[in-house]
Amino acid sequence: MVQGMHLTPIGDGNVLLEPTDGLDLGEPDTYLVPLTGTLQQMRARRLLYDLKNVPVVDKLYYTWLVNVAAMCRISGIDMVAVNMRPATAYALALTMENSPPFDCALDVNRARTMPGAANRK
Amino acid sequence: MAKNTKSDKSTNQLLIEQIMTKVATISQNIEKRGQSIFGQGNLLTLDEINDYSLEFLELFVLLLQAGEKVDRRGSEYKALRQFFSNFSQQIQIRGGNLEEFVRYIHFMQEVFLDNLEADDTVNFHQTREILLLLASVFNDIILDVFHVYLAEKERTIQAQQEELKHTSTPITEIWDGVLTLPIIGTLDSSRTMSVMENMLSRIEEDRAKVVVIDVTGVQAIDSQVSHHLVQMIRAVGLMGAKAILTGIRPEIARAITSLNIDLSMVSTRSTLSDGLKEAFSLLGITVHAADTHRH
Repeated sequence: MVQGMHLTPIGDGNVLLEPTDGLDLGEPDTYLVPLTGTLQQMRARRLLYDLKNVPVVDKLYYTWLVNVAAMCRISGIDMVAVNMRPATAYALALTMENSPPFDCALDVNRARTMPGAANRK
Repeated sequence: MAKNTKSDKSTNQLLIEQIMTKVATISQNIEKRGQSIFGQGNLLTLDEINDYSLEFLELFVLLLQAGEKVDRRGSEYKALRQFFSNFSQQIQIRGGNLEEFVRYIHFMQEVFLDNLEADDTVNFHQTREILLLLASVFNDIILDVFHVYLAEKERTIQAQQEELKHTSTPITEIWDGVLTLPIIGTLDSSRTMSVMENMLSRIEEDRAKVVVIDVTGVQAIDSQVSHHLVQMIRAVGLMGAKAILTGIRPEIARAITSLNIDLSMVSTRSTLSDGLKEAFSLLGITVHAADTHRH
């Protein structure tokens, strides 16, 4: 169990991450190592980061997402951000300078059926 | 008890007296003029014109009766101003113009002045006071009417702009999960905001997988416009949909390369038709011509 988030295996190597209120983004290192360890124990091939309850993705939160994606990539896990709200996407698109280093999907079902990075052209 | 002579009476009393004694002539004249102005263009029916004329006279008398001096904060004065605001609004909604309405208000003043001229018993000082009173009240009314006119125009312009925004960027679900967004004209910040908001909401509502953004109707592209396009495409990607940019004319392509804009992360096709084929291909749909020969 990792503090500040719920991790649920949902089959076929997919793990759903639902952040909770306890997540303190000021201390990312506190979470990144245990998260990666847990994902490896779960034999995750894809992490589905649920943004349904995240109304604002500001610079700090975006940096956190980028860090999670980087840790996943090193561990051979794909990361997909799911359930991003239109208003969140809108605000984030205005501040982003590059494309995000993770995939995005409208919902969990779509994310589960996405081809993995290794299978993409 | 001594009876008031005309010279003792206040300006308001004199005007009230004139209106009361000649109410039939005054209202008849106002109605006649109203009919010639508003009746010809079918802006108001005869009944409406008559009702408005009588209501005006009633409100004006009430205002005069309220006190020696016109109290601009009083309910009677507010009622008269409100009456003219509503009246002018109705005329505008029915297609009338401000000029005619102002002429009508001027005519109302003239009716009072004509009556004043016909009355030999009113002295110079009283005439002057009545003139000042009429000018003061009617000028305020004209100003109010002008404000209403401006506010109504402003509302019309805003409504037209909103209408134009929606019609100039129609987002259509052309196939299950495929949205098309033709952009016509220029893409400024305010328009980008509104287009992006609509587009992202539609992606969520329609569960869209692909958005084809067609820029055939974009006349010119500069760094700001291209920046907005890139923002739009990124936002589509964040919602988990794929954006395809189509209709890049040679001049636009040249401008993009001159501006060193990196569109490598964007899937581009030359025509909307090619963009749709790409969208179908992404969804695993193949489109064939219908077989004309039945076996």
